[in-house]
Amino acid sequence: MAAHDTIVTTASKPIEPLMSVEDLAVSFDNGSGPRIQAVAGVSMSVYPRQTLAVVGESGCGKSVTAMSSMQLIPRPPGRFDAGRIMFECRNLLELPEREMLKVRGGKIAMIFQEPMTSLNPVYTIGDQIMEAVLLHQAVSPDEAARIAIKAMADVGIRDPESRMRAYPHQFSGGMRQRVMIAMALACRPDLLLADEPTTALDVTIQKQILELLRGLQHSTGMGMMLITHNLGVVAENADVVCCMYAGRVVEYAPVTELFDRPLHPYTRGLFRCIPGLSELRNRLVTVEEVVADPREYQGLRSEAGPVVPWWPFMDQSQRPALDDPSKPYALVEVSPNRWVGCWRTPEVARNPSRPPRIAPA
Amino acid sequence: MATYLLRRLLLMIPTVLGITLMVFLLVALAPGGIGAGLAVQGGQMSDTSKVAQMQAYLEDRYGLNDNVLVQYARWLGRVSPLKFGTTPLVAPTGDLVREPRDLPEPVMMWAFPAPAAFLVQYTPPSGEALVEDFKRLQRDAEGTRRTYVGSVRGMKDALADHVRALGAPWISRLEPKGGADPERFRDLPLEGDAPTLIKLRAAAATMHVAWSDAEAARQRATIAFLARPYPAAGFEIVPNAFSLGAPDFGVAFSRNRPVWDLIATALPVTILINFIAFPIIYLVAVPTGVLASVRRGGAFDVISGLMFLLLYSVPVVLTGVFAIGFLANNQYLGWFPVSGLHDSAAATMTFMPYTDVAGTWHRGWLLDMVWHLALPVLCLVYAGFAVLSKQTRAAMLENFSSDYVRTARAKGVPSRDVIISHVLRNSLLPLITMFVGIFPAMLGGSVVVERIFTIPGMGSLVIEAINLRDRELILANTFMISSVSLLALLLADILYALCDPRVAYD
Amino acid sequence: MRGIGAQEAKGFWADAWDRVRRRPGAMLGMAWIAVMGFFAVFAPLMANAHPIRLERLGPDGQVLSVEWPLFAYLSPTDWLLMIATAFGVPWVFLGSGRLGRAGRIGVLVGLSMQAGATIVLAALLVWAAEGAGIESLERLTRLDAGPWPLVLASAVLVAVLAMAVPIAAPLVRRIGPILGAAALGFALSWLAGGQSLVNHEQVILDEAAGKVRATWTLIPWSSQYTRSDMVGIPPGTRVADWEKTASFKGTPFGERRVLLGTDAIGGDVLGQMLWACRLSISIGLVSTGISVVLGVTIGALMGFFGGWVDLLLYRVVEIFMSVPTLFVLIVAAGVLPRNTYVMMAIIGFFSWTGAARFTRAEFLKLRKMDFVQAAQAAGLPVRAVLFRHMLPNGITPVLVDASFAIAAAITIEATLSFLGLGPDGQASWGKLLSSATAATGTFVWWLAVFPGLAIFLSVLSYNMLGEAMRDAIDPKLRKAAH
Ligand SMILES: Nc1ncnc2c1ncn2[C@@H]1O[C@H](COP(=O)(O)OP(=O)(O)O)[C@@H](O)[C@H]1O
Ligand SMILES: [Mg+2]
Repeated sequence: MAAHDTIVTTASKPIEPLMSVEDLAVSFDNGSGPRIQAVAGVSMSVYPRQTLAVVGESGCGKSVTAMSSMQLIPRPPGRFDAGRIMFECRNLLELPEREMLKVRGGKIAMIFQEPMTSLNPVYTIGDQIMEAVLLHQAVSPDEAARIAIKAMADVGIRDPESRMRAYPHQFSGGMRQRVMIAMALACRPDLLLADEPTTALDVTIQKQILELLRGLQHSTGMGMMLITHNLGVVAENADVVCCMYAGRVVEYAPVTELFDRPLHPYTRGLFRCIPGLSELRNRLVTVEEVVADPREYQGLRSEAGPVVPWWPFMDQSQRPALDDPSKPYALVEVSPNRWVGCWRTPEVARNPSRPPRIAPA
Repeated sequence: MATYLLRRLLLMIPTVLGITLMVFLLVALAPGGIGAGLAVQGGQMSDTSKVAQMQAYLEDRYGLNDNVLVQYARWLGRVSPLKFGTTPLVAPTGDLVREPRDLPEPVMMWAFPAPAAFLVQYTPPSGEALVEDFKRLQRDAEGTRRTYVGSVRGMKDALADHVRALGAPWISRLEPKGGADPERFRDLPLEGDAPTLIKLRAAAATMHVAWSDAEAARQRATIAFLARPYPAAGFEIVPNAFSLGAPDFGVAFSRNRPVWDLIATALPVTILINFIAFPIIYLVAVPTGVLASVRRGGAFDVISGLMFLLLYSVPVVLTGVFAIGFLANNQYLGWFPVSGLHDSAAATMTFMPYTDVAGTWHRGWLLDMVWHLALPVLCLVYAGFAVLSKQTRAAMLENFSSDYVRTARAKGVPSRDVIISHVLRNSLLPLITMFVGIFPAMLGGSVVVERIFTIPGMGSLVIEAINLRDRELILANTFMISSVSLLALLLADILYALCDPRVAYD
Repeated sequence: MRGIGAQEAKGFWADAWDRVRRRPGAMLGMAWIAVMGFFAVFAPLMANAHPIRLERLGPDGQVLSVEWPLFAYLSPTDWLLMIATAFGVPWVFLGSGRLGRAGRIGVLVGLSMQAGATIVLAALLVWAAEGAGIESLERLTRLDAGPWPLVLASAVLVAVLAMAVPIAAPLVRRIGPILGAAALGFALSWLAGGQSLVNHEQVILDEAAGKVRATWTLIPWSSQYTRSDMVGIPPGTRVADWEKTASFKGTPFGERRVLLGTDAIGGDVLGQMLWACRLSISIGLVSTGISVVLGVTIGALMGFFGGWVDLLLYRVVEIFMSVPTLFVLIVAAGVLPRNTYVMMAIIGFFSWTGAARFTRAEFLKLRKMDFVQAAQAAGLPVRAVLFRHMLPNGITPVLVDASFAIAAAITIEATLSFLGLGPDGQASWGKLLSSATAATGTFVWWLAVFPGLAIFLSVLSYNMLGEAMRDAIDPKLRKAAH
């Protein structure tokens, strides 16, 4: 791995990623049935000031990946099967609870999809923001209150002094998400995990919140993992896109390149089923139609030779011969800074790619 | 907040009315009716006609011949703090004195015309003499009234005898139990000199004499009453028409004491027991539920759940009997007293325990009570453990998986603080709601416990009242127990509103 | 939501049943309930002071006549219960055919209820006719053959009503069973005597003197039979070993053992405990049935119509919820006549609020769901929506909680009986328990331990069952149990 790093970064000064997820696998106990493999070998990395967008249909393991990096997965029933998540040279998956408490909220903050239920209904807004501040900064309660007011003002809540004493139910959804952001950013984290921060909000509020996030990221220089399944949001906000399917990364690329030339059939399907404004179609193309087409899998080459994009529902007869049937998947760098999830054919296994890292320019 | 409280209090009125109406109907419509216990006791009285006359007197006194709803309205009128009609007076003993009631009409007026109505001339004295006079007149009025009501009953009995002597077809008009309703015999021929007829005529004469006496006594007593020998009860707004006053629960005929006196000694006992039991239930059940939810699926969770389910399945009567039999009875362990709230020597005890000069230890009043209450409270608490701890556990688990707990964890709040200040804090709300479910059940349970341990509380009182069919006492008991229950629920409501910022008061 | 209808509902219950079956506690509970049910049905055959067979012997031992006092004594209801259990239960469990097991249970319960209704109606009619003293009817009821015209009339009436009940089977197929049940009801109420032809005291003396030969039931004591010379015998004592009955030494009566002792008025504890199963089982089931029917009806009305209906009825629910139920029950049981039916009625009447609130909440939720709105949009009348679509879904939580309600009803019965407010002339565990601490201050342990254990086990069984059902069905708890 180190070898690859030096090859790529010879030109510029090497920057280390803020956080890198390496081959993460997480599974859940399912009572009587077999374990649910929610995440099965995911890799990605975020650099400071960079926005990594994680896209994919719901249930593909985006949240589990993000929550794993905070050790917020309930264990049991959850379990980390493999991989690691490196942050400041430490593996977050193995960090003891005491250390983890400092990371959570202090170094890495997270905001969630459901602003309506993510705030505790029995405490005031101010109390909840101050709780985070007091936990991570050695300040007096008065000072904490001042920090909280500032954070609220930063996220655009008007009259923050009096709103401090309000309860969550007195706020609208958009306002609550602002509060969540204020709470997350009050401690100046290095990394923000935003798990579908705008999915539950209406379009105008969505735009405001995303602009707010971008502005804050700009002024603080933090890295951000933006989980979403809205490709418009991705196009406008992300630097790097990680596209997931069924607990695996299917494509990993800088945003412009991905939008220009998607390589994996699933990604192509995703783009193709967005109705463009300029074209007129009788009906929409579905992702299924695209990925079911065997032609889509042909002609992809990497430095190691031809590769076949990985797809769990691919016809048995079409699948290439595998190196090790128990490990059918590998993330292959098919061209510089372009990673595609491929079947782990012998050539792929012989020439392992470097982990996905796209440093900001 | 004030309007909220007021609205809740106003809403309690129809609830209390509903409950008392229900019980009133039950008692009034139940076969046997009021004072049925007396009839049973009357078995020892030698003269059955005396029992009949006693019953007639009770019927007259409680107005049992009227429609049930009229009776209920009358009862409400007495209990209600707004009073219409002649203002009652308070005797120095604290008893309420009311204007003497009108007499019921003599029966069979068509055959035996009553003496003409008359007005007695009587000028009440003033000052001390008035009080003495009124007391005498009151006794007189009540005595003559009793005689009169008894004579009416005698008249009916004589009529029934006569009808039976006549035989068919008249006999079929008798009531199922053999009594005669004079109104049904308006067309009965009353000529001749059959022995039963002679008796009937004699009964009528007796009745008329009794009526004249009673009416004269009543008029005199009324005049004396209107001269106000005692101060008026409550606060008169329009003299003798409209006043405010304390609820009057009447007199318990079984004890011949004002019901309020009985309740005033019994209610605090019941409330005391419940208020000792409640903190114990919460102190045991809530921590157990919290621990069980934190170690969900673990040994503690399973064992505490099973233990509490076992306890929950033991009826209070069973625990009571076992506790008395094995723990209190001298045949076995004899560690605890068998009955009562205090030792017979309690009146002479000091409050706190002490050791006297001779070195003997005295337990004192407080410990004595604790010692007496230990078993009753034990019987009352254990069933609540299961309900409350299960509820706590469920509420905790639900909150554990809630979004705001996830938020708190993501903020870096330590696990213990998450459990206490987020999960438990939010689980308090259903626990307060649970109070609403448990409290009425506890009050009911304490009735049984008091009965088992012979504690002089509401439970013992109500069972005594039921056995004697003492309507006033039953109704007042129901009224008080429901009111206490409702007030406790109101308290829970207020607590809930204080704990949950989402509840608006208006 | 994969579709609605019987198929899915059945799958749901079968699934729940599978989960319940995996809990040993629940299975033990059911076993105990089955034992109790068996005793409840067969108590008259097992514990009875009426000999099964009584041979009157001549001076030199020859048999003069043979009587069957027990069979003369059994009432129509006893017969019905025993016949239905003896034939119906094997049929339900072993039988096959187009009806499923649930269907067979339904048929068994339905037909037993029909025959039972015939018996009750006939008894009521005869009683009313006797009470009314109407001469022509009086002659009718005094016929030597018994009051058969009245009995026949009730059988026909009930059978006609039974046919009017809408059940799925076509009329032709159910006419046979219904006529059969009518015939059974008629035969039982006409023929079964329910009368006591023997003087227990005399039989025992005659038996001792060798004048009769008696074949006794397992426990030769009725629940009502008491002997003043046998008060307070400890468990396991032989009658002849008891001081006051030592004179029976060497006679069959003297050789009997009083297995669980006798009570404070000289009745056999074991015999009474067996008979008391009847009271417990029937009070539990019937009063819960009443409360479920009342609660579901009221709750469905509230939840379906909402608005002022809801407002008004909910006040009533609140009234019932805020009264100390046990207290009001004590008052009601105290002033009303002391009999089983009244007790069932009042317990049911004061415990429906839980069912009503469950149903209401469920209906309010369901009302907004797609399939109900779809049914309404499709123009189905309100009644159809209510019964065909909402009731089966809304009633689930009520049925799950019914088990706890039965346990509570059994507790209440025991409590009221303990307080001396129970049904008159009925053996009851609570009544036995109350005589354990007699007025004399002595504590009779066997009167506390045996009935107490029976009460505890019954209540525990239903609670265990309820707990298992709740865990099996409540998805919220199931999630939490993860
Ligand atoms: N606590 C849990 N228990 C069991 N399975 C879970 C749990 N959390 C997540 N999963 C499973 O993990 C998979 C991925 O979930 P998630 O990461 O939340 O999806 P998404 O990409 O929509 O955020 C899902 O299939 C879900 O069933
Ligand atoms: Mg998600």
